[in-house]
Amino acid sequence: MPNKPTVASDWLAGCAGCHMSLLDIDERIVTLLEQVSLHATPITDLKHPPESGVDVGILEGCVNNSAGEHVARQMRARCKVLVALGDCAVFGGVPTLRNGVSCREALRRAYIETESTAEGHIPNDPELAVMQDARALDQVVPVDVYLPGCPPSADTIFFVLTELAAGRTPALTGKNLDWH
Amino acid sequence: MNEPAPISITINGRPVQARTGQTVYEAAAATGIHIPALCYHPRLKPEGACRICLVEIDKQRSLQPSCTFPVVEGMVVRTDTPAVIASRKASLQMIFSERTHYCMFCPASGTGETTDCELQQLGYEHGLDCWTYAPNYKKQWPVDASREFFGMDHGRCILCRRCIRACEDIAANHTLGLNQRGARTMISADDGVLFGESSCVSCGTCLQVCPTGALHDRQSVYLGHESQIKRTAATCVGCAVGCGIHAITRDNHLLRVEGDWDAPNGGLLCSVGRFEVVEPKPARILQPLVRRDGRLVETSWDDALALIGTRFSEAHLVAGVASPRLTSESLAAFECFFHDVLESSEIALLSGEVPPLDLGMMVSLRDVANADCIAVIGGNPLQNQKVLGHLVRRALDNGARLIIVNDETTGIDDWAELQLELEDISFHAASPFERLKTTYHLRVSGVLELEKAIISAQRPVLLYGSGLSSSVYAALRSLPAQARFLPLVKGANAVGAARLGIEPRPVRGDALYVLLGDDLSNGQPLPQSEFTVVHAAVRSVWTDAADVVLPSPTWAEQRGHVINLEGRRLPVVPLLQAPASVPYHRQTFVKLAERMGQTLSPEALVHLAGPE
Repeated sequence: MPNKPTVASDWLAGCAGCHMSLLDIDERIVTLLEQVSLHATPITDLKHPPESGVDVGILEGCVNNSAGEHVARQMRARCKVLVALGDCAVFGGVPTLRNGVSCREALRRAYIETESTAEGHIPNDPELAVMQDARALDQVVPVDVYLPGCPPSADTIFFVLTELAAGRTPALTGKNLDWH
Repeated sequence: MNEPAPISITINGRPVQARTGQTVYEAAAATGIHIPALCYHPRLKPEGACRICLVEIDKQRSLQPSCTFPVVEGMVVRTDTPAVIASRKASLQMIFSERTHYCMFCPASGTGETTDCELQQLGYEHGLDCWTYAPNYKKQWPVDASREFFGMDHGRCILCRRCIRACEDIAANHTLGLNQRGARTMISADDGVLFGESSCVSCGTCLQVCPTGALHDRQSVYLGHESQIKRTAATCVGCAVGCGIHAITRDNHLLRVEGDWDAPNGGLLCSVGRFEVVEPKPARILQPLVRRDGRLVETSWDDALALIGTRFSEAHLVAGVASPRLTSESLAAFECFFHDVLESSEIALLSGEVPPLDLGMMVSLRDVANADCIAVIGGNPLQNQKVLGHLVRRALDNGARLIIVNDETTGIDDWAELQLELEDISFHAASPFERLKTTYHLRVSGVLELEKAIISAQRPVLLYGSGLSSSVYAALRSLPAQARFLPLVKGANAVGAARLGIEPRPVRGDALYVLLGDDLSNGQPLPQSEFTVVHAAVRSVWTDAADVVLPSPTWAEQRGHVINLEGRRLPVVPLLQAPASVPYHRQTFVKLAERMGQTLSPEALVHLAGPE
């Protein structure tokens, strides 16, 4: 079916738990694949959304460094509808705990001051991403659909994807809305 | 007084009958129209702080808080228009953005069906799937864990001020207030000190009304949502006030205790009744123990009872001591066993004090908070009947006059309009010299001053302690008939025990039976005897010194009644199931009597404990 909506996903500063929850839809993934065409994801061979663009982009995790920001901006540029998947993408999540200290302090603690470190130094290779404060996805790029939960349940993810596949904007209510 | 005419108003197009003095919120609630709110609490004075309950009222230029807006004839109210809902969502968004309402760290957080957080519930109900205004994760909100039993996470606080109102209007303790203004506003104790270093008495009333997880009980945190626990209405046996409690249990564990809003204590409890009763008990006794070769070793119930039966039959005189925290049913079985089987009247209460109960007309706890004149004569309710102390302070807040006649300081002495010593109200009629002094006004007669205050009051209440001289009691009996009394009894069921003739006094015998329950000796020496049985729930210095130890149910496992200081008979219901090896006290006495070749008839036991 050539007109199937195309979907791509990626992860930022998250734990991959939301993608695991996506896989928890079990055999319904067959139903889903009948309705959508899956492109690049972190759990398939293809790693980057096609330049030609996709209909739905899904991002897990918050943005906490320059690499994440690049991935977020690229996905935004290459998809029509952007879904923030999970509490980290929607609210910032666990990584925001470190916002209470500056990036410099956090790096010093992690690479120099930890009790198990001897003669540590903060990595400064120019190819490495630059650390930033942890932010929810919509603090970096506009988000169209919010799917909170830690992780969102497989049922909720399946509901949202089938709604999008049918060309509707999913509205989360009742059991599907659960942040905790 | 004539009932004021009802007011007709319209809410959401429905005609509604309201009463004068009602707010729009109350009138709506009375007809089953629910208006969401966060700072509103049915037991607290409305404050209008959270802006969630805003509604449209005709002829008002903006949305109005329904919780503080009084109804007037012909008013037209709408609670569900798009403007109202948009405003409510905007308020919710702002509340969520202000502090750290990232729910997954919070014990109150749950799904739509399990959440204990009123804020999260409203978020779910209004379909909030993201935050319009990102919270400031840079700001660190303090967590105040300086109190032993409950903590305060300022990051979860929404400044609804329920805690402040509970502290002021219910506990009358006036510890909590607000510091700073605007976005810097913080709930603070006294002058901005840590809660644990403040005038807070840990009554926990604020904890009971907090809508979020900001105030959290440290013992029950994360152990169960409201939807997973069992609530049982019961009676606290911490002291003679006999507060109504809701015991919160799960899987036969006591998680926490809350005050029953509908009982005379009106939701109030003290730190003992709310928190200390939940603390894990030291080593529980689950099997009978007997002393062999100087050491206490486990044995069977049969062996333990056989040994007690033999030793008691041989004994010349068996004495008994019982805790005042036991039910009347347990005490009746104890009394019956001593009277009928051992034919001994050497029985006494471990502790407790019951002043004479025949001074005049008695009042109830509910009358104390409404009194316009309170006299405390001997005794210290702030120390020994703490919830009663809160009720006294609430009456003082409402303008009641205070008279203190005491030889000890009570903590409210500074509020006293008249302060006398017990000596000042003693009649010394027996001594002609004393009579002369009074006749010629050589001594100011305290009784006359007390009388004057009582005559000028509408609802005077006299709280009086025990152990006062008979001349003081005589003075109180001589007061005018409008004086109303409430005895400052010590010991949860000391009144019930007194009705069974069990009172604190020294006892002697060559054998001793101590019915302790989960009470502790509190440093009292164990009465001397050659053979001692201690019937207790937990190990203590007394069980360690005993010859036989019998396992007892705890306060939360007993069934029966206690009689409080008002003389009300209050139900004690088992909140937890006792271990299989731990029978009720009554069953133990029935079996022990059988061992000794006699019978305790169940009918007699019921009769002794009083009518149902």
